Amino acid sequence: MSVKVDPNLMKDLKAFGLKDANKCMQCGNCTAVCPLSTPESPFPRKLIKYAQMGLKDKILKSPEPWLCYYCGDCSDTCPRGADPGEAMMVMRRYLTSQYDWTGFSRRFYTSEKFEIIAISIVGILIGLALWIFHAGNPNMEHAYLNSVWPAPAIEIADIVMGTILSILLLSNTWRCVRFTMGDLLKKIPLEIYITQAKELVIHFITQRKFGECTDRMQWIVHLLIMTGYSTVFMLVVVFLAGGIHVIGLSWDKIMFQRDVIYPFFHPVRLLGYYATFAILYGTTYAMIGRLKKSKPQYKNSHGTDWMFLILLQLTTLTGIFIHFTRLLDWPMPTYVLYVIHLMVAIPMLVLEVPFAKWAHLAFRPVVLYLMAVKEKYKEQKGIA
Amino acid sequence: MEKKTAVYICTGCGIGDALDTEQLSKVATDEGSVPICRNHNYLCSQEGVEFIKNDIDNEGANTLIIAACSHRVMYDAFNFENCIVDRVNIREQVVWCQKPGDEDTQMMAEDYLRMAMAKVDNMELPEPYKPEEEISRDILVVGGGLTGMTSALDAAKAGHSVVLVEKESQLGGFQGRVQKVATFPYKGTEDNDLEALIQEVTQNEKIKVYTGAKVDKTVGGPGVFEATISQNGTTAEHRIGAIVLAAGWQPYDPKKLDEKLGFGASPNVITNVMFEESFNGGEISRPSDGKDVTNVAFLQCAGQRDPDHLPYCSSVCCVTALKQALQIKAQNQDANVFVVYKEMRTPGQSEDLYRKAQEEGITFIRCQSPEVKASGESLAVEAEDELLGEAVIMEDLDMVVLATGMVPVTAFGMDITQEEKEKKEEDEAKKGEEDLDDIPLDVIRRSDLLNLEYRQGPELPALRYDFPDSHFICFPYESRRTGIYPAGCVRRPMGIATAQEDAAGAVMKAIQCIELTSQGAAVHPRVGDMSFPEFAMQRCTQCKRCTVECPFGAINEDEEANPLPQITRCRRCGVCMGACPERIISFKNYSVQMIGAMIKAINVPEEDEEKPRILVLACENDAYAALDMAGINRMKYNAWIRVIPLRCLGSMNLVWIADSLSKGIDGIILLGCKHGDDYQCHFIKGSELADIRLSKVSETLNRLALESERVRFETVSIIDYDRLPAVLDEFAETIDEVGPNPFKGW
Ligand code: SF4
Ligand code: SF4
Ligand code: SF4
Ligand code: SF4
Repeated sequence: MSVKVDPNLMKDLKAFGLKDANKCMQCGNCTAVCPLSTPESPFPRKLIKYAQMGLKDKILKSPEPWLCYYCGDCSDTCPRGADPGEAMMVMRRYLTSQYDWTGFSRRFYTSEKFEIIAISIVGILIGLALWIFHAGNPNMEHAYLNSVWPAPAIEIADIVMGTILSILLLSNTWRCVRFTMGDLLKKIPLEIYITQAKELVIHFITQRKFGECTDRMQWIVHLLIMTGYSTVFMLVVVFLAGGIHVIGLSWDKIMFQRDVIYPFFHPVRLLGYYATFAILYGTTYAMIGRLKKSKPQYKNSHGTDWMFLILLQLTTLTGIFIHFTRLLDWPMPTYVLYVIHLMVAIPMLVLEVPFAKWAHLAFRPVVLYLMAVKEKYKEQKGIA
Repeated sequence: MEKKTAVYICTGCGIGDALDTEQLSKVATDEGSVPICRNHNYLCSQEGVEFIKNDIDNEGANTLIIAACSHRVMYDAFNFENCIVDRVNIREQVVWCQKPGDEDTQMMAEDYLRMAMAKVDNMELPEPYKPEEEISRDILVVGGGLTGMTSALDAAKAGHSVVLVEKESQLGGFQGRVQKVATFPYKGTEDNDLEALIQEVTQNEKIKVYTGAKVDKTVGGPGVFEATISQNGTTAEHRIGAIVLAAGWQPYDPKKLDEKLGFGASPNVITNVMFEESFNGGEISRPSDGKDVTNVAFLQCAGQRDPDHLPYCSSVCCVTALKQALQIKAQNQDANVFVVYKEMRTPGQSEDLYRKAQEEGITFIRCQSPEVKASGESLAVEAEDELLGEAVIMEDLDMVVLATGMVPVTAFGMDITQEEKEKKEEDEAKKGEEDLDDIPLDVIRRSDLLNLEYRQGPELPALRYDFPDSHFICFPYESRRTGIYPAGCVRRPMGIATAQEDAAGAVMKAIQCIELTSQGAAVHPRVGDMSFPEFAMQRCTQCKRCTVECPFGAINEDEEANPLPQITRCRRCGVCMGACPERIISFKNYSVQMIGAMIKAINVPEEDEEKPRILVLACENDAYAALDMAGINRMKYNAWIRVIPLRCLGSMNLVWIADSLSKGIDGIILLGCKHGDDYQCHFIKGSELADIRLSKVSETLNRLALESERVRFETVSIIDYDRLPAVLDEFAETIDEVGPNPFKGW
């Protein structure tokens, strides 16, 4: 069976930010220089070939885009200026949109206008909701957030949002798993899936693979943003109520964003500081890089890349401001900032996490895990 | 000329330390009774040259033997007008390659001096050849395409009158039928501005243009060609100095292509040439119904780089495909264009065009053997993509364009050797000529371009694949016919930029040829040589050896088979001299007698002295130079050898072998250039002919009851200098084993 060549895919990929890959002459220098490419899963040249030939199905099955951390070595080496690193980035965007069954992601990636409008609408809706549903008699002497928006209400809203988000993200991740594994998915015994699970955790926490790249700075920046973000995510989504208070599963001592002000060395407060610092440092570094186009990976910035950084930084900044206004006990500024904070943070969470750049947080470790599973399976089959 | 000989021995460059120059002088004065013999310690200095001039002016010396360095160096210092000059190479080939102060070294130097004295005795001063007719300075250009027109203009700009002959009714050639061009600097496609060139040519007063015309007949030689040109039933005669053949090419016949490529299976499978011709000036559309094209595949190397069709690369079709693909894209940006290639060959800056095509979104697929699937309306191409490792299919194609290649126009027409063979089979009476069958004949086809009245055939001989080339790397722009220079796609496939350069190159060669011929001098490779072959016709037996063997077809024949040398065509190689069994061909300064006398001058010691002698006949273009190089690198080799340089090994006459052996010389080794398809022989077939002649020497050896090991042929090129001493030493060992020549002392 021969595969059908389809030049239209290249046109489609252009909408996802592909610019120079058609200049590739398939010399393979990029694959040779890539520190992460292996003989078993060589990249990025192969993916560019798929793109040039319009082999959508093959791209869909490829784990390689998730193996690339965009160190940019390949783009530096390419004799044609085909920017293979960027091509890999485009592949990730494309895959994200393909994994997404709602079709939302595709719109998000292919239209900046759509992205801005969607985020604005969600933001405004949140603002409106907070306006409409605030308590009748807020405390104007002290900065007590719960006096405006009672804790249980926030908690319920948080659970609702968390559930929707999880359903979307998990269903997309499931599609990712199905595409990458194909027929193998069911052939591999469950036991392997279980034994390899630790890979998933290790990869998620250490980003070990990224550390193999030549430019360690990128790895550090990435690690900062990732851990900072995950910490806050945990604090908000999980610790918000010290657990799931409504169903009685909680521990008051670790509740986040409550009117109690923890002493300086309280772990929740320290984690909050770490996250703030990590995210601010990481995003500022990345933004300056993108503005100056200082590295290959910063040369081409897609709308979603900017949106990601801006929302994250805004969320963090408003978060830390709230923290200070509360310490200073200024009620009104605290409440206003809180509204802004949520107007930024919630669109970021509900739109970026399942549909855009944030989704790689799930896809990448999952694909790495699946690769480990596959390898193990092959190893076993080889022995058997 | 009354000869007065003077011998000069240089003692510089280590010669004086390694040799007993007193003793050497005695060879000249006592044995040779030379009136003047002097030593100098720095002969090539101004003072040394004055020292010689003094004898010329005051003593009447006119035959000078300079025993010093190789004749390949210092030739401008030792250049004395109206004097016979011979150089004895006692530096590179004696003191630098032999043990200093040794008896054998001394003997070697003395022998070389003896040989030189014998040589000058048999030499005359050459006089330049002047044909009876006046030398014409006009240039004939055959072919009015891009190359031909460029040649004509270049020649006219250099002040030469030009006759331009084009077979079609208008100038332009293939390029005239092309709409867009892609050439230097290859940034994209450009409009074809050939019309401007045509205007310039037709308006140039120095260029006489014949269109719808052909050359019916070409007689004579450089400087004295006479061309008969026919046009619409009338003929014109022109006297011509030199010729540029720019007759171009024909596309390879697509009907001969492999069925897999689908030519003929659908009207929508066309060739790159058909693309140019059918869409010239108009829209690019589907051949079957004139509808728009949205899916087009280009298949490269169609019947090219393929031993069953054209074994070579036509070098332009990759760029042409890119150009045509870009034309389609320019017409319809959304068209899907595929290029299936073996290798994209876009050398130099044409790589930019490849890049441009990629940027325009053209898809490239690397595949060695694509297959066209045509059934009814549907057209598809299936290709095993090497970079993907899988077969891919391009469906719903509107058009498939096959990159067929260029065939030089010299490839058409019957090969005359084939013709002759057939004739001979019919004609019993001609059986007598059978002994000429051993001579390798050139491929010459009746392609009706020049219609030379040459004994060896009417057109330029071809080298490989029917291109009338002559080892371009070594001898650029040369053909195997003096004064006729092929240029453009008839010489090798090429694009616009190269063709223009080629045109200029060929014209410069033509001008050079006219200049040298008018001085009576030889052209490449013995540029400036004033000597030429003279035939002592009384003794000619009409054996035809010379007329058949001359590598340049310089000798015609009359009805009685008498050779009629056309001296301006001659390159002075001496192959005819070597071929002639009657030894009637000689040059003023190079002859069978002369070399024979040099051989005789070698002192052959008695058998009991155990000093065998080995004669080395070395091609002076490569082998002799390699021997010099060995000396320059101070490599030592056997002391028994005595080297005689030959203009070309092809000038070796078998009588020298017989002479040497009967004189008691123990072994003979011939050093010549590589022959065959990748020949390096400056005179094309010289070394090959020498090798063939040598194969007949066994008769002589048998007659003399001598061992066949005594005579050997070796091919050497100049870069082989480092292995040459080993070759000579090994031969000397063999000769030692075989034992002394029993004819010593007879
Ligand atoms: S992307 Fe660049 S380096 Fe990689 S194969 Fe293509 S041309 Fe070569
Ligand atoms: S960006 Fe780095 S990791 Fe990604 S393909 Fe290029 S070299 Fe490999
Ligand atoms: S130029 Fe290209 S298409 Fe033509 S023969 Fe050479 S490689 Fe083949
Ligand atoms: S010297 Fe050479 S070129 Fe001249 S006629 Fe003899 S064989 Fe031909």
